Amino acid sequence: MTGQQSSGMPSDSMLSKGLLLAQTRALSKSWPLVFRSRDRLRALWHLLSGRGHAATTTVLEGVDLQVRRGESLGLIGENGAGKSTLLKLLTGVLTPSTGTVQVHGRVGALLELGAGFHPEYSGRDNIALAAALYGLSADEVRAKLPEIIAFADIGNYIDEPVKHYSSGMIVRLGFAIVAALHPDLLITDEVLAVGDEAFQKKCVRWIEDYLAGGGTLILVSHSMYHVQKLCRHACWLKHGKVQAYGDVFEVTQAYLAYQERKSAGEPATRESMAAQGLEFHLLDLTLNGESSDVPLMVPSGGEVRARARVQSRDGRAPVIVFGIVRADGTPVYGVSTEMDGVQPRRESENVFSAEITFAGLALLPGSYAIKVHPLDPEGVRLFDTLERGLVVRGESREFGLVRLQHEWTGCTQPPAAVEARRSLLS
Amino acid sequence: MPALQLALHFIRRDIRNRYLGSFSGGAWSLLQPLIQLAVYGFVFVYVFKAKVPGADAPGYVPFLALGLWPWVAFAEGLTRATTAIPDNAALIGKIALPREVLVFAAVASSFLIHAVGFCAIVLALCLFGVPVDLLGLPLALCGFVQLFILALGFAFLFASVQVFVRDLAPALPQLLMLWMFASPVFYARESLPERYQGWLDFNPFTHYAEFFRAVLLHAGEISVTTQTLALLVASLVLMLGFATFRRLAPHFEDFL
Repeated sequence: MTGQQSSGMPSDSMLSKGLLLAQTRALSKSWPLVFRSRDRLRALWHLLSGRGHAATTTVLEGVDLQVRRGESLGLIGENGAGKSTLLKLLTGVLTPSTGTVQVHGRVGALLELGAGFHPEYSGRDNIALAAALYGLSADEVRAKLPEIIAFADIGNYIDEPVKHYSSGMIVRLGFAIVAALHPDLLITDEVLAVGDEAFQKKCVRWIEDYLAGGGTLILVSHSMYHVQKLCRHACWLKHGKVQAYGDVFEVTQAYLAYQERKSAGEPATRESMAAQGLEFHLLDLTLNGESSDVPLMVPSGGEVRARARVQSRDGRAPVIVFGIVRADGTPVYGVSTEMDGVQPRRESENVFSAEITFAGLALLPGSYAIKVHPLDPEGVRLFDTLERGLVVRGESREFGLVRLQHEWTGCTQPPAAVEARRSLLS
Repeated sequence: MPALQLALHFIRRDIRNRYLGSFSGGAWSLLQPLIQLAVYGFVFVYVFKAKVPGADAPGYVPFLALGLWPWVAFAEGLTRATTAIPDNAALIGKIALPREVLVFAAVASSFLIHAVGFCAIVLALCLFGVPVDLLGLPLALCGFVQLFILALGFAFLFASVQVFVRDLAPALPQLLMLWMFASPVFYARESLPERYQGWLDFNPFTHYAEFFRAVLLHAGEISVTTQTLALLVASLVLMLGFATFRRLAPHFEDFL
């Protein structure tokens, strides 16, 4: 099973076989722009005459997702990226503007704190109503009531009105109801974060058991820890579009790299540099032969070839420095042509180039950037900077930035527990 | 039928909500129209000296009661249903449920409560010696069901329009007041000047006021044609209301 975005899959037969639980095709959602009451009247008229909305803002655009039975998908992205809107579309709370949503099987959704709870009613009464909303009969509710109360574990509060509950208790009750439903597809929005440590662990354990038992999960979370722990695939939404979709580690690392770069501040653009008429300025930086702006993905222990071209105003040969920094700016390693006693190659009258190869990359998985600077021939003044993202893929539980050469001495074989954990991870 | 089960749940919840925290509980639903009837009875009988025209006409109070109760059920059902969608916005935004259920429950709970009140008042009138034909009571309840169909149709229409145009809910009490005085609730058709009497047929509620009085008090006649026509009108209104609701319901969330 691949998490790659697939196009033109013969999915209708899969839907009928029950393999695909949820599928969206070119799914878009836009809100009508309504500022004045007159707009509402016009919107009403447009809808009644079947013409759709006049002016809209788009919150979700062209989303294609496929969730198969037994799959676990994490939705990540910044606030306002459209994650909750996507969940609401999947649960049928919202209607798509264009595109289609198909969901099969019983869906258990935890969209928001205390959704559907009536504050005046006791926890017990609210369980009955919530269960009715999920389509359970009165007998089924009675049968499941002890299980729900035990899972929620809120003591005598179960007979108090929900308005007296803390937010943690509301989440406990909500989760307990969904857990008792044994849904085919569980959809949860960032709600686990509200519960206390013990309850969070209980929920995570329950979700793990649920997944192990063949359950299917769509989880929205800002906690990459939870996403990586519970999901095998991830989808990164950015401004309502799918930015990355695939293996959870790749997508979360790309997302974290983006986040770190954003907090480190965007570098100045190439054009503004060129306009300054510097003595030396960089023309481009290519990594492994590509010069796009997308971060380069390399496997841990792979090879990176970085090549830079420098324009020299008066034709003197520059010193070129290459460096690797972590995405937050922490330097990892840097070296210049001058240090190693080499000369950049003269490509034309005023253009010089240098290429450096890092083979057997010792960087630990994570996101980094490769930086390049031209210096004057004396190696004193620094003129320009270009950087490109570098994502080292892989899974590792080591700490820090690089893998240092090491050897354990005086130790025995790893204990069985570590083995078990390793097999769980793979 | 999960939708029906859900509807029953919402009706129970709606009825409970009304009396949750109120001291007298469900008795209030009987008390309120009784007080209203007493006030109207006093004002109309002793102040305005109102009389139902005709030689063998019933007394004014039973005449009024049989028109007023159905009207209260109708008007209250409409009022509650009109705001049913915005009132449950929190639920609609988080849980996928058939929204028709909310409107249905609002109208149904009003009709249930007032149908019970209606039966109680009919029995009370009997005890006070008013010649009420108790055999007409089952027929009257069928009339209630038909009125419910009409109310549901208007309710779907109003509830869906209210989401988009918020002016409806504040205007509704005035509209209903006009509608009530345009219906033969406080007066008999014969009390109107001759040339206006025909106009009452354009008011869908007219049939019901006259129907209840005909079957319970034998005041006036209901022809099969009128009855069929009224049923047709109720069904048409329901179809129109439901179609409008169905068309607009997918967009509610965008405007709530």
